[in-house]
Amino acid sequence: MTLKPELPMSGEHIPRATIQQKSRISIVWLIPVVAVIIGAFLAYKAISEQGPTITITFKSAEGLQAGKTKIKYKDVEMGTVTSIELAPDLSHVLVTASLVHGTERFLKEKTRFWMVTARVAAGEVSGLGTLLSGAYIGMDPVLEGDRSREFTGLEIPPAITTNEPGGQYLLRSTSLGSLDIGSPVYYRKFRVGQVVSQELDSDGNEVNIKIFVHAAFQHLIRQNTRFWNAGGIDVKVGTDGLQVNTESLVSLLIGGIAFDTPSNLEAGTVAQEGQSFPLFASKDKAFEKTYVEVGYWLLYFNDSVRGLKPGAPVEFRGIQMGKVVDVKLEMDLDNADIRIPVLIEIERERLVPQEQLASLGERGTDITKVLVQKGLRAQLQSANLLTGQLKVELDFFPNAPAAEISTHGSYRVFPTVPAPLDEITTSITQVLQKLEKLPLEQIGKDLQATIQNAEKLTGSPELLESIRSLKVALAELEQTTISLNQNVTPSLQDTLLQSQKTLKAAETVFQNASPLEQQLGELLKEMQAASRSIRGFADYLERHPEALLKGK
Amino acid sequence: MKHTITAAQASLLNCHSCDLLCNAPTADNHLLATCPRCGATLHTRKPNSIARTWALVITAYILYIPANLLPVMTVTSVGKVQSDTIISGVIYLLLSGMWPLAMLVFFASVVVPLAKLFILSYLLFSVQRKSRWRPRDRTRLYRITEAVGRWSMVDIYVVTILVALVKLGALATIEAGSGAVFFAAVVVVTMFAAMAFDPRLIWDRLEDQP
Repeated sequence: MTLKPELPMSGEHIPRATIQQKSRISIVWLIPVVAVIIGAFLAYKAISEQGPTITITFKSAEGLQAGKTKIKYKDVEMGTVTSIELAPDLSHVLVTASLVHGTERFLKEKTRFWMVTARVAAGEVSGLGTLLSGAYIGMDPVLEGDRSREFTGLEIPPAITTNEPGGQYLLRSTSLGSLDIGSPVYYRKFRVGQVVSQELDSDGNEVNIKIFVHAAFQHLIRQNTRFWNAGGIDVKVGTDGLQVNTESLVSLLIGGIAFDTPSNLEAGTVAQEGQSFPLFASKDKAFEKTYVEVGYWLLYFNDSVRGLKPGAPVEFRGIQMGKVVDVKLEMDLDNADIRIPVLIEIERERLVPQEQLASLGERGTDITKVLVQKGLRAQLQSANLLTGQLKVELDFFPNAPAAEISTHGSYRVFPTVPAPLDEITTSITQVLQKLEKLPLEQIGKDLQATIQNAEKLTGSPELLESIRSLKVALAELEQTTISLNQNVTPSLQDTLLQSQKTLKAAETVFQNASPLEQQLGELLKEMQAASRSIRGFADYLERHPEALLKGK
Repeated sequence: MKHTITAAQASLLNCHSCDLLCNAPTADNHLLATCPRCGATLHTRKPNSIARTWALVITAYILYIPANLLPVMTVTSVGKVQSDTIISGVIYLLLSGMWPLAMLVFFASVVVPLAKLFILSYLLFSVQRKSRWRPRDRTRLYRITEAVGRWSMVDIYVVTILVALVKLGALATIEAGSGAVFFAAVVVVTMFAAMAFDPRLIWDRLEDQP
């Protein structure tokens, strides 16, 4: 608008403006009102959509970035890490994350969080996307349970998310073998599940392996189902040739578990979820006839148990009856003795059918007693000459010294006999020990001296002289004998007749039970004893001719 | 200042639509004058200028909050998602060593809109308080405000161009954040506010009490 001061103040030729009533409030104020409404709406949305804030504990924050790292479930963003702090004791990392609105109901005690990074494990490669985008935190939402806002992050991603249909079972094994989380579980070479966790039990004796089996296959797991370690290759060379067994190439590399239900037993009821089963080392082991009813016995051996290991067989004439459970060393404090107790288990079902076993009761002990009386003993025997492994052999030894079943602690002690080899060794040792004591050198020297003396004697002129005079003497003796025969014999006959008469008279005098007769009896006994000892002496001489030289 | 007669004092005004010079007998604010020729509303000054400007300035202040809190741009490059607000973008540029660019963005996106709002607020205050202080300089301030306003849109242009250009699928994608909408709104509303303000009001006060 340009001012034109020259214009007349007012004029008839300038038209008049129309005058109307004006509205009081300007519409322009709607604009800030709308802005406020938008702002308020945004603020409300931001506040109302504020999800829960949670804290997750991790061992390390490797790959995590505050404000960037996401929390995802099935690749859906559930939240963002807002801060990463060290725990006051520096042992772990506290990751604070704010989750999106509506995730409250998934945050229960059992909700799990883990770090997702690129992983090459268990036959699969996962999380490759994180190589470029960086790690994220995986989440396994759980709907049931108590509300929680603090979680402990898993170091290893769980193989199965909670809401995947299926069940978990516990397998107990003495060794983990080549199993890893994610190792497959097979049923007739059909992949039906996988290993989800592995841990040592509290006392470190067994490995507890948790497996997950998909819902569609859960009915295959029954009370009497056998699980075995199917990793690796099973190569057997037998009379029927070479056999190679493996579950799959994957299990060859990363291990695996297979299971089956023996067809010879009646199918048991379907197993409960979480039920525990033993994990056998191989399929053959799994299908070996198992014996539930076992009796424990303690054996004390005086022999060396070198080569006797837990698991060694207990046999009766070649048929397995049980196995060695434990071999220990024990100090007998009362008698200051060291003993080796060997604990064996006897599979009683091998002897008596299971049905009868239950009704046997106390009679079982009595029967065992009778068996021991008949000479049933345990003995260590060599199971393998090459390796020197031992086994426990039960057999009847009718000549064994009588023994009884005793108890030691809670175990019954079964009598034993020394090993056959041991017996021979013992006697040989004894003989050797005696031989060792012989003064062989002395004997040799004495013998030499004697022989020298004898040599001297035989070569001496005195001996020749003696022999000559002996000859003369013998001739004289002959003559004397002849004269004796001629002169003395007749008169002697008379004398004998005379004495016969005298003896008869004496007999009447002394009667029976006279002291003389008694003495005679004693004399006879003495003579008997003497002859016995002579016989013994003769026997001994026969066996030990050297005793002549050396003495007994 | 030489005293001159004004059109308003002569009860004269011209129609904004058809430029017809009319005689407006009353200057009553509660009455509406219309052009006898084209029927457009007649007014000596921009109608309700102070209230409108205030309303728009307040709106701009309100919108300025979400414009700075919400992300302006979300860059997804090789799986990494990064959302930036204006300030975090400036900080990012500064940390990356691109401080001239950071200064430019900071000036265009933070200083200019805020300066405009403060200047307009000051002008409104001064007019309402019937200030007679340096009207010529205040008018110059207003002219600068109006001239510089459109340059605040640089940010929005950048975002718009980037969103259109960077569409490399999984490799890199740039998306405009809701903050950009609010920032654009701040700039636009501020421009309207500047337009709604009538700089003649600055001089009117000088004439009221000569």
